[in-house]
Amino acid sequence: MTVFKFSLKRSFSNKTNLLLLTLFPIAFIFFPEGEYWPVLPYGYQYFGIVLLFISIRLTTIILVDRAKGVVKRLAVAPISYGSYLCQNLLAFSVILVMQCAIVVYGGVLLGVELYQPHWLMLLYVSFSFTSLAIALAWISIFRSKESAFLIYMSLVTLLAILGGLLMPLQIFPEALIRIAVLFPTYWLNQGMSWIASEGSVGDFILINGVLWLYTIIFMILGSTRKIH
Amino acid sequence: MKAIKEPTLYIHGWRFLQIGLLMHVWIVGDLGFRAFILILLLLILTSLRWRFRLPVWSVLLDVLLCLLLFPYTDIHYVALAIPMFELALRGKWMLSLLLVAGFSLLHALHVIDSTIDLIFWYHLHAFLFGCFSWLTIKSQQSYKREADEQRKARAELERIKMDLLEANHSAIHHAELMERYRISRQLHDHLGHDLTGALLATQAYEYVKDSEEGDKLLAEVRQRLERSTVSLREAVHNVTPTAMIGVERLDYIISSFQHKDIAFYKSGDMLLVSAYMWGLLEACLKEALTNVARHSDATKVKVDLQVTESIVRLSIHDNGSVTAGSHEGSGLRGLKLRARSIGGSLSVNRQDGFLVVCVIPLEKVGGADEATNRR
Repeated sequence: MTVFKFSLKRSFSNKTNLLLLTLFPIAFIFFPEGEYWPVLPYGYQYFGIVLLFISIRLTTIILVDRAKGVVKRLAVAPISYGSYLCQNLLAFSVILVMQCAIVVYGGVLLGVELYQPHWLMLLYVSFSFTSLAIALAWISIFRSKESAFLIYMSLVTLLAILGGLLMPLQIFPEALIRIAVLFPTYWLNQGMSWIASEGSVGDFILINGVLWLYTIIFMILGSTRKIH
Repeated sequence: MKAIKEPTLYIHGWRFLQIGLLMHVWIVGDLGFRAFILILLLLILTSLRWRFRLPVWSVLLDVLLCLLLFPYTDIHYVALAIPMFELALRGKWMLSLLLVAGFSLLHALHVIDSTIDLIFWYHLHAFLFGCFSWLTIKSQQSYKREADEQRKARAELERIKMDLLEANHSAIHHAELMERYRISRQLHDHLGHDLTGALLATQAYEYVKDSEEGDKLLAEVRQRLERSTVSLREAVHNVTPTAMIGVERLDYIISSFQHKDIAFYKSGDMLLVSAYMWGLLEACLKEALTNVARHSDATKVKVDLQVTESIVRLSIHDNGSVTAGSHEGSGLRGLKLRARSIGGSLSVNRQDGFLVVCVIPLEKVGGADEATNRR
């Protein structure tokens, strides 16, 4: 588990990351509630976007490793690429899950109305893995950390708008709502609506199931070993 | 650019386009979430096929997924094109055709109803594209195998050529050493013997009191010196080559080449250059001049031979115009190999006329025994 420990340390190594991974999620607990929309307080509505950003921030460590030739050296080291990737992803997952726990249970402690906090925690964890897989697939396309991050920002904005995280989906035309279903953010939004409306468990399983399917797809696409 | 020519790129492209098509059908068809799950599951299989080479039986999973959703949605009619394509791609085109025909028959007999028109033609297209991809991959594999074999044979030939050149170099070196040994033995056995005898006789002459005895000694000295002179003349006559070698040979080649105006410049100590190097320099000069006569429109040729303590450099530069299609012939390639085998190099420049430069190191060649022999 050397890579796992090292990856955890690297994730908290600079001040920006430290702020982003610790204080930033806490700040989201204190966001106000909306009048009609969103169903959960704004901080919880936007937390999905934060997860997407944090995921790319964390996974760029793999991109930097690739650029610096660490992955090339790993090819001759007594450790497989799969093990290296798994340990890195495990470290990133631990960080993301901890953030989800801070946001959800921090909110519970402060008396924020979260309807079903345990289900919300499960939803956030599912989406954390999805966002991590998306980020992994995204960085597998790029060679430069900067360009990957900058273009990803536009993508996240698009995903957030079309998925209904930034504005209610009801204002979109019917065709656009239909297209929105293709985005994982739509399912996160649906999950949050389910938590507020307390629907059937089957629907919630479907939502989480779709998020997990997306995780598998992006994980397969992003797990390619690229040696430059 | 190389990736664009790879057939696998188009195969993966087709697979992902199918998923895109399914998503499009799902969006415009107002289909339920079960169909959406089917698309995602098929996307997982497609991604796995993109990353790994899945076994043929994995096609069963696609078929199974389509059949599982058979009662709920129409989209599986379109999705069935994926297993049809995959079977044809793996060379199981009979199975694929069977699937196409079976499905079309059920459709024709109204056993299954599809709201999507022209589905037969769509399936047939998937089958044909699968067959085409299979054939393309097979041909590519066959070409690659053939190219590998040719490359291997060429490498083997190159190695044999290099071995032969090295053996040639070694034989020349040994022949030179044997010749030196022969000359040295001849000088020692005949000339050296007589000269030593004459020297001893002159030394003895100083101590001889009797004049008759002295005259006899002087006659013997004269006789030995005469014999030595004859022996020396014979040795020199035998050693002197009858054919021209070295720079004289280059001079001769240039003077006998009368087609163009050739200027020959030489500098340095020509005796530093070994016989086998002259052989290569001569071959370079001949090849370059033949090329000028055959392929060039040059009017002037400049030949420059420089010998320094460490290298010998021969450059042949003409003022001809080089055509775009000009390429390096087997002659120059062979000379490059020969130059490389003795630690030198031969380079060609086409920027301003045609320039051939051959550089051979002097110190490294021959090794320590050569250096000792020179001394």
